[in-house]
Amino acid sequence: MDTKSKKALTIAVAGALTLSLAACGSNNSNNSGDASASPSASAGGSQPASSTPSADSGKKVKLTFQNIYVDPNTPTYKTAHQIVEQYQKEHPNITIEFDSLNTDQQKQKLKTQAASKEIPDITMVNPAAQMKPFVDANLFVPLNDVLDKNGLRDTYQSGLLDYYSFNGNTYALPDGNNIEVVYYNKDLFQQAGISAPPATFDELLADVKALKAKGITPMAVGEKDTWTGSFIFMNILLRTNGGPGFLKDVVDGKKTFEDPAFIEAVERFQDLIQAGAFEEGATAVDADSGRNLFTTGKAAMYMLGTWETGSIDASPIGGKVAAFQFPTVDGKGDINQFMLAPGTGYAIAANSEHIQEAKDFLNYYCLNFPKVQFEQKNAVGLPQKVDGDLKAAGYSDLAISVMDLFGKVSGGDISFDNTMNPAVSQAHLTSLQNLFVQKVDAAQVAKEHQTAFEANK
Amino acid sequence: MNVLKVPKLAIGVFILPALILYICIVFIPILVSFYTGMLDWNGIGETKFVGFENFRNLLFHDPVFWPAVRRTLLYAVASMVEIPFCLIMAVLLNRYVRKANTLVSIYFTPVILSVVIVGQLWKTIYNPTSMGGMLNEVLTSVGLQSWTHTWLSEPKIAIYCIYFVSLWQYFGYHLLIQFTGVQNIPNEIYEAAKIDGADGFQADRYITFPMIVPIFKISIVLAFIGSLQSFDLIMVMTAGGPAHATDVISTHMYNSSFLSMKYGYGSAIATFLVALCLVFTIFINAVMNKVEKRFG
Repeated sequence: MDTKSKKALTIAVAGALTLSLAACGSNNSNNSGDASASPSASAGGSQPASSTPSADSGKKVKLTFQNIYVDPNTPTYKTAHQIVEQYQKEHPNITIEFDSLNTDQQKQKLKTQAASKEIPDITMVNPAAQMKPFVDANLFVPLNDVLDKNGLRDTYQSGLLDYYSFNGNTYALPDGNNIEVVYYNKDLFQQAGISAPPATFDELLADVKALKAKGITPMAVGEKDTWTGSFIFMNILLRTNGGPGFLKDVVDGKKTFEDPAFIEAVERFQDLIQAGAFEEGATAVDADSGRNLFTTGKAAMYMLGTWETGSIDASPIGGKVAAFQFPTVDGKGDINQFMLAPGTGYAIAANSEHIQEAKDFLNYYCLNFPKVQFEQKNAVGLPQKVDGDLKAAGYSDLAISVMDLFGKVSGGDISFDNTMNPAVSQAHLTSLQNLFVQKVDAAQVAKEHQTAFEANK
Repeated sequence: MNVLKVPKLAIGVFILPALILYICIVFIPILVSFYTGMLDWNGIGETKFVGFENFRNLLFHDPVFWPAVRRTLLYAVASMVEIPFCLIMAVLLNRYVRKANTLVSIYFTPVILSVVIVGQLWKTIYNPTSMGGMLNEVLTSVGLQSWTHTWLSEPKIAIYCIYFVSLWQYFGYHLLIQFTGVQNIPNEIYEAAKIDGADGFQADRYITFPMIVPIFKISIVLAFIGSLQSFDLIMVMTAGGPAHATDVISTHMYNSSFLSMKYGYGSAIATFLVALCLVFTIFINAVMNKVEKRFG
């Protein structure tokens, strides 16, 4: 072969490579185009395009169920899996695939998926301000028809669905309805010579010192996940403000973050930190490790939502734990007002190819959720009413006493990041994390908040 | 020199496959993120064009940004300073250790571990005394109680603790590269030098170092770009905390885009990062070319 034809051959080969590359690209887009088109095409072939196929049409359907239940030892994990298995047995054509991530990771994954409109068929969102951007962008379908089917709407506790409703439509169905309490280890309290849970913030500080003197970590927190510290702080603010609604007043322009109530709350929170209430190096401890400190008996108190009751009950220290209401601060506030946590809600993606199937499943899931949770000994903080005698069902004293606290609730606030937009929330969370590592002038903290609020209105 | 005369068309055709790939998966996304950087956008809702406002805020009004840039560059410098040590180590291994391959493979093991595992491992080592952190225990046991810290929770030292882990992890990687480079220098040259009376350090100075400059350059560039993009280790160990004390450019970008939901602003940071990488890569290349000329 002479050099010329050799050259021509190599050029031809290189050219072919290029072309095949380009072809590859277009092929791919063709394929994905087909894939997204095929379900509607096959549906359109047999029936008018507008009609919705029923779940029992026998067509194989795979639904992805993104959720925040990662730990197989927790009751809610078991509940979710049990209901899903049961549903698959009754509907053999439906396969439900779990995509389980812990809370913070799930939030971030969902946001990335939302950016490219690839939200899983069923996912979970936090209420109010946190789900508003999704609703505004029409990423979720309204679930009014799901609620109206089989009387599901009436099972929910009154007012709960409001946190998930916008413009008269409900976009997500909550998995819980919790309040914030302080769990404490009775044995460790006794060791430190504390006879009764604190009724005032000053007593709490004194208890912290007594525990500390005995070498016991007074309170466990997982401040690497910044919302945990904020949830504690918000309880103080709820007291110093003399009642709920501080953040709403800020949003409405009636108050600013430089209000004395906010500054006092920051100061008192710092007092707690400076007294050594939390474990060393708390900002590097994540939420799960924080809980472990408490459930392994290393820390005496643990302050979080009542959704923790089930896992604490199931832990080695289960029998030694009781709960108390967050005390008054400087004589202000009402201990029957709580930080409220209206759960995390199940939502259905507007980009799903199987909206009807997902709706049918969600209806079934939510109808069975309270019953199975009750059997799993996790009836504390249920979003729905459930019949059954806790004592007879073998619930622990802790669970029963926490359930009793629900009866005392006379109002409260929801968490900071459920009230404010994400940018302000993030500034708040970082600002509070900073308090864990250094003493800062409370007025300065208030100013940081106000600046962030005004910059991100 | 007829051999080197290749028609322009052939050059073009040969470059084309790589070029198309490059444009599609590198160049276009950069342009897109530059454009996104000019939007006021939460990542999922409606967009609003705001021109260079994001960039202006970033450069002049963001209290987190410049410290993050400083930390990133310091990180880059630290990982580049590591390379000469790797080189010296490689030379020593090559000269004094028989079957040095085994040792090099052992040094290489941290590299193949996942960053998450490395991060968790070191987090446990750095734990405060009350949680049984190994580093503090060791310090206490040798009587250096006053040196103990809550390593990852003290804003002033947390970032250095993370640098150290990263240097520890990638030491073996650069050692391997340098070691291979040293081994590839033909033995005859050293033998010839020996006859001329150059041995030991002299041989290193006039043979090993000049001949290894190209390999050295690769390591430097890899270390530099790797550290500019460092992200995973920091996310695992501190997530940028406490209170931004360990934020670098990439974690700040991520936090802005996904936690604060300021996607446009995050894109502006991304654009800055690209520009920074570009400027410094050109700079390093220029410096290394000079070095190469001097030794070559």
